[in-house]
Amino acid sequence: MRTKATAIGTALAALAVLCALFATSASAAPAWKFEAKSLEGSEVVVGAAVESSLTIPGLTTKCENFLYKLTIKNEGGTGKGEVTELPLYNCTTDTPVCAVSKIGAEKLPWPSHLTTVSTSPYIVIEGVKVGILYSGKECALSETLVTVSGSAGGLIDNSKETATFNESTLSATGTSLKALSTKIQWNGVFPTEAFQWHREQAISVS
Amino acid sequence: MQKHRTRVVCSALLAVALAALGLAGSAQAKLTGEFTKFAQCPYKNEEVRKCIDAVTESGEVILGNKKVPIEKPVTLQGGAGPVNEEEFGKFYAATNGITLSKAQQNVPGGLLGIVPDASSPALVKLLIKFFLENSLTGVNSTLELAKTASDISISESHLAGEEGIALKLPVKVHLENPFLGKNCYVGSSSSPLSWNLTTGTTSPPKPNTSISGAGGEGELLEKGRIIRIKNNKLVDNAWSAPTAAGCGGILSFLVTPIINAQLGTTTAGHNTAILKGTVMSASSFAVQTNDSENP
Repeated sequence: MRTKATAIGTALAALAVLCALFATSASAAPAWKFEAKSLEGSEVVVGAAVESSLTIPGLTTKCENFLYKLTIKNEGGTGKGEVTELPLYNCTTDTPVCAVSKIGAEKLPWPSHLTTVSTSPYIVIEGVKVGILYSGKECALSETLVTVSGSAGGLIDNSKETATFNESTLSATGTSLKALSTKIQWNGVFPTEAFQWHREQAISVS
Repeated sequence: MQKHRTRVVCSALLAVALAALGLAGSAQAKLTGEFTKFAQCPYKNEEVRKCIDAVTESGEVILGNKKVPIEKPVTLQGGAGPVNEEEFGKFYAATNGITLSKAQQNVPGGLLGIVPDASSPALVKLLIKFFLENSLTGVNSTLELAKTASDISISESHLAGEEGIALKLPVKVHLENPFLGKNCYVGSSSSPLSWNLTTGTTSPPKPNTSISGAGGEGELLEKGRIIRIKNNKLVDNAWSAPTAAGCGGILSFLVTPIINAQLGTTTAGHNTAILKGTVMSASSFAVQTNDSENP
């Protein structure tokens, strides 16, 4: 009799653990929504960074025009997507000796997915690869192709409809970007706006 | 009259001496700050685009059965030319002629480690006994450039990108001990140890297995004019080495085979080079500007 009670207790405990795990994984997989309704099919989201900079220790590069195009969809209740375009224009550095002669995203599309960290929604972009060619007679990096690669997680703010990438959002999502085999900083605030079927609709993640 | 002439001659000699000192001074670089690392860079050569200073602070060289740790720093310094389609720049020799510094590394086991007493002929045994009694048992191994500096090539893109060959370095190993004579080498200018060092991952023939280097941590100094990469790790374990030659002076015909037997197989797949250190690079124009700003 005692054995049966123990067995039931163990089974219940196991069930509780499974439920807890399921709850964790469910909360770790938010979906794309428009006007509070889950996105069905796909949508194209576009935007331009309000501000964005990339810092290799000792050299910060900024682009006036940092655009992006992201195709999003929900798969099994989880928000997924792909960065399909990332044109970068008018890029400069914080030192007069180094100019940016070429910059461009490589190996697009980059897969992305939504996740939750401590109840906050994040978008994680994987396979990031940006090539930068600096120029300048005195620039130490001239003629050296600098490749930024890795993955980056950004915090989604539903009220402002933005995704913010910085040191703390990359740390929270366990992501990192490297250039010159060194961990680099990327700061950027990207507004999100539907471009195809859900224009002018409120976009959110939950 | 005599006194006056002597004074004139002395003044002239002093003027010549001062002029000579002045000339010597202007010929020497007046680099400042981190630029002083590039004092031996041929930055006045118009073909040179970059100045390089790479210091190997630790690592090891495994040659067949023998492993020699790198305990004393070895410096590769000079200039690099414009990069070709494969992203390599030709290397230019250091202005003081010391493109690759000669640092003597201790060979573990000393003389008996490479010329064992037990398996040596009687004459060799007798000589070894003499060297042992006179405490001349230490053996040094020194890396030397096997070819000219222009046979070195470097790719900063590959170095930073952790893929492909970053540094092609033809070297030879000089084994030094009074017993071994002055010409005991593994590798030569006609048959060098051709190191194709990478910060990525190697694909060596067996029995060696893949090993990985590391780009290290880059940092720009002097407002973008110098890049310093710390904890850089260059590796190659796919190179082959010829047998040792010229060891033992007039007894070379006896001693060299013993050393080769001790080294064992040195064909590709049996050797490894691991160089860990700091690489600094600057545009030659930036170095020249720094020089001209500090006359």
